[in-house]
Amino acid sequence: MNHKHVALVAMLLVGAVTAVGAQNNPAEIQKAAEEKAVNLCSTCHGPRGISTSPEFPILAAQRKGYLEAQIDAFRKKARAEKDAHDFMWGIAGNLDDAIIGGIAAYYASQPPARGRSDDPALVAKGKELFDKGLPERGIPACMACHGEDAAGIADFPRLAGQHAKYVGKQLNYIQTLVRAAPVMHGIVKDLTPAEIQAVAIYVQSK
Amino acid sequence: MAAWKIVKALAPAVLVMLAGGWIGHAGAVPSYARQTGQECIACHVSFPELTPYGRYFKLTGYTIGKTSFSSEGMNYLPLAMMAQASVTNTRNNNTTDPNTGETVSVNQRNNGIVFCCASIFLASKVNDYIGGFVQWTYNHLATTADGTLGGHSGIDNTDLRIIGKYSGEGAAEPDLIFGATLHNNPTVQDVWNSTPAFGFPYTTSPLASTPAAATLIDGGLAQQVAGLGGYVFWKKTLYGEVSFYKTADGAFSILRQGQDIHTDGGVAALKGYNPYWRFAYSQDWGANSIMVGTYGMVVDRYPSNLDTSTPTDRFRDVAIDAQYQYITDPHTFTAQITYIDEKQSYNASFPVTAATGAGIGAGPTPANPTDKLHTLKAKATYYHDRKYGGTLAYFSTTGSADSGLYGMDPNGNAMKPDSSGYIIELDYLPIQNIRLMFQYIAFNKFNGASTNFDGNGRNARDNNTAFLNVWVAF
Repeated sequence: MNHKHVALVAMLLVGAVTAVGAQNNPAEIQKAAEEKAVNLCSTCHGPRGISTSPEFPILAAQRKGYLEAQIDAFRKKARAEKDAHDFMWGIAGNLDDAIIGGIAAYYASQPPARGRSDDPALVAKGKELFDKGLPERGIPACMACHGEDAAGIADFPRLAGQHAKYVGKQLNYIQTLVRAAPVMHGIVKDLTPAEIQAVAIYVQSK
Repeated sequence: MAAWKIVKALAPAVLVMLAGGWIGHAGAVPSYARQTGQECIACHVSFPELTPYGRYFKLTGYTIGKTSFSSEGMNYLPLAMMAQASVTNTRNNNTTDPNTGETVSVNQRNNGIVFCCASIFLASKVNDYIGGFVQWTYNHLATTADGTLGGHSGIDNTDLRIIGKYSGEGAAEPDLIFGATLHNNPTVQDVWNSTPAFGFPYTTSPLASTPAAATLIDGGLAQQVAGLGGYVFWKKTLYGEVSFYKTADGAFSILRQGQDIHTDGGVAALKGYNPYWRFAYSQDWGANSIMVGTYGMVVDRYPSNLDTSTPTDRFRDVAIDAQYQYITDPHTFTAQITYIDEKQSYNASFPVTAATGAGIGAGPTPANPTDKLHTLKAKATYYHDRKYGGTLAYFSTTGSADSGLYGMDPNGNAMKPDSSGYIIELDYLPIQNIRLMFQYIAFNKFNGASTNFDGNGRNARDNNTAFLNVWVAF
């Protein structure tokens, strides 16, 4: 192996240190965060946070505080469902607080996804549950925290327009304590699969 | 029974790795997983087939994630390893030696457990713009000069990239991804699994008989050439690439390190810079992803790799391909197809063969000035939960009759290179780093005929191959 070969291999072995300059200016931080969203997050979550694959959640118009909390939970490995473990732990692990804040702000400011539904009966059933809950079983209305139009309130997440498959999956994770959300667990632990499907289809239609 | 033998043979190694924490969690799978912190399934449907995210990772130069070394020290070891052990059963392992008339074995290790090969990968992001991988493989079953099987090691697939991205003001996704690639196997740089280098079958028996004829782009130059190319991917929709291939000599000789360059008939010697192109249309929607494309190359090759003073033969390969993927949890369905048309112009070999009855050195001895060769490959795969997989594939090679290249049949007619058949494969991945595979390859035609293809009474189906394989990566 001559010196040219050594140089070629060394290029990979050594690994140039990527000294990303510290960004202190809020505008610079926001720009760096948006570059991350455009160049990396969009690969799965879609342009402006509207994914087309139901395997990846829509982030557009999501509540900023909720997004920050979730990315932080991925980073700290506190959200441990399979998808979080397989995809998000690694991505979030490379982000600092400032960039997380910038990414959350970027997606929170994007126009929401349009509602989608092709099952009016299921939508109606889901709306009933979302708006009124099931008082006879002690299950409160979803709208109490997620808002009348499911757009979220404060740090309670937006559900409107979210992929029904994703919402259903998360409710299952919360029911089975795979995803730690103590308050939500208490609320949804007795929902049947049919009720979960109905409410998921309803929020997707919003 | 054979499968159980393989499992028993590999069990100690697997247990050691599990005990050492080398496999089984995200922090310890092959180096790109360590680099990104993500699991294999983020980028692979099943190794090596890429997901849309995996294609993006490759096109952006393997630069997502952390560098292996930073100002804080070593973040992860940029090395990975893989190994395979298997059992091969050839349907009819007895054949007649044409010289002695004795019955001999086709497959020297039929039904025996063999350790086939092991690779070490140096794979890492270098910085935000440079990344790549180098694979070095030890083959325990290489054919030696005296025809027996022995150990040999050499460079395997390699791809090094420099990339850039451009997004206009207010863009929601990268408008343009562009890059340069240095590699050593035509199509190893491609991101769709319909092209030859990472096309199905991903693993085959190291011992089974395989058809003699293949297009040059389909492995004929693998680990023998230096390829330097540039590519653009516009709005994640249109892909274009132009690369040039030259003999991997001089400063590029590391790209064929360990290969046989001293024997006539060894690695290829090419004249000048030989062009390759690749254009593709890609679209993702919902859980679906589709690609239709074309690729090909024109190669001027010296008939003898030891004599570059002669004229050259020209190989012109033009291919079309398509891929469809539907990826959800838990159902994954993928399909690929490619058709390669090759025109072989024996501008150097034919005149010499016609005049002397022999080729140039160990080069080809065609009876025709030009020949055609066509290959079709198609496969469909289903995976459940990325653990349980099944694949059905069809393959076909057809071409011109040429007695100089393919011999004569018992009736004195020039033979064709035709081979065809199908593949059934079942896969089980208990964890993402281990794949247990059963594969059956059935031939309808082999080297030009269904029956008596070798003139000694051997039929195509006699080469049908059952293959049990254990693949481990860590």
